[in-house]
Amino acid sequence: MPVLARTLEAAGLSTLLITPMPYWAERVGTPRTLAVEYPFGHALGLPGEPAMQQQILAEAFEALEKIKDPGTVMHSPQQWPGSVEQAIQLWQPLEPSPIITALTPKFREMLRKRRKT
Amino acid sequence: MTVDSFKFLPRIIATFYKMNEREPQYPIPWTPLKQPLHAMKFALVTSGGLYCKGTQDPFDIEREKNNPTWGDPSYRVIPVDIQQQDLAVSHLHLNTSDIEVDFNILLPIQRIQEFAQQGRIGAVADEHYALMGYQGFPPDSHTWESEYGPKIARAMLNEGVHAVLLTPA
Repeated sequence: MPVLARTLEAAGLSTLLITPMPYWAERVGTPRTLAVEYPFGHALGLPGEPAMQQQILAEAFEALEKIKDPGTVMHSPQQWPGSVEQAIQLWQPLEPSPIITALTPKFREMLRKRRKT
Repeated sequence: MTVDSFKFLPRIIATFYKMNEREPQYPIPWTPLKQPLHAMKFALVTSGGLYCKGTQDPFDIEREKNNPTWGDPSYRVIPVDIQQQDLAVSHLHLNTSDIEVDFNILLPIQRIQEFAQQGRIGAVADEHYALMGYQGFPPDSHTWESEYGPKIARAMLNEGVHAVLLTPA
């Protein structure tokens, strides 16, 4: 998605990425970023909570106006209202995705070998 | 406050991300704001795999199930007057149930219209865009960059859009 922000920006649009993953936004080089520490798939917050969603949008418009240097990341002060454990369960698919299912055994093996050496 | 990118990630997925080390390509593209917010027209883009039930195909998650290293690069146009019951989600890397209750948590079409009604922004586009964020492993976003991204940008510019909010899933 940071890649798409770059593509749209290069085409003449001003963009702002609202993301829980500033780590990735920084590595790709995203024009403007608002980082929000909400679980994946919940960029604006919880369903049926318009005030919570409006708050993030208000911060997004503020970031869009304030950021003057390409690659700037602003961090929202909002904190997720629930527990971390609940949030992790909330966003993850009920079944692991096909790629995670395919790679997990190989990956565990790799980590185990790495620990041994 | 500094946002912790890995707070809600299981360790194995966090490690996947950290393995994908990369450096930004410079210069970072830049289009400065040309007018104040109250004169700007906005469009939204999400990678949450949203589509219009009945009139659009889901993202091709069946092909992804057979070929887990591939992700559907196509996109869907979501009209501004979309109603919750007409929207569905296809995304194998996400629990989509909260989006199926209230799509504004990822594509805030109704919320952003409230900002326009209050005069805090100029206008909201008629058309918004959804993609499906999983672009294979290792991630390959060249179709987005060379084909669909420029196509979406042209459609937005034709509609008079100035700025875009992007919400990855």
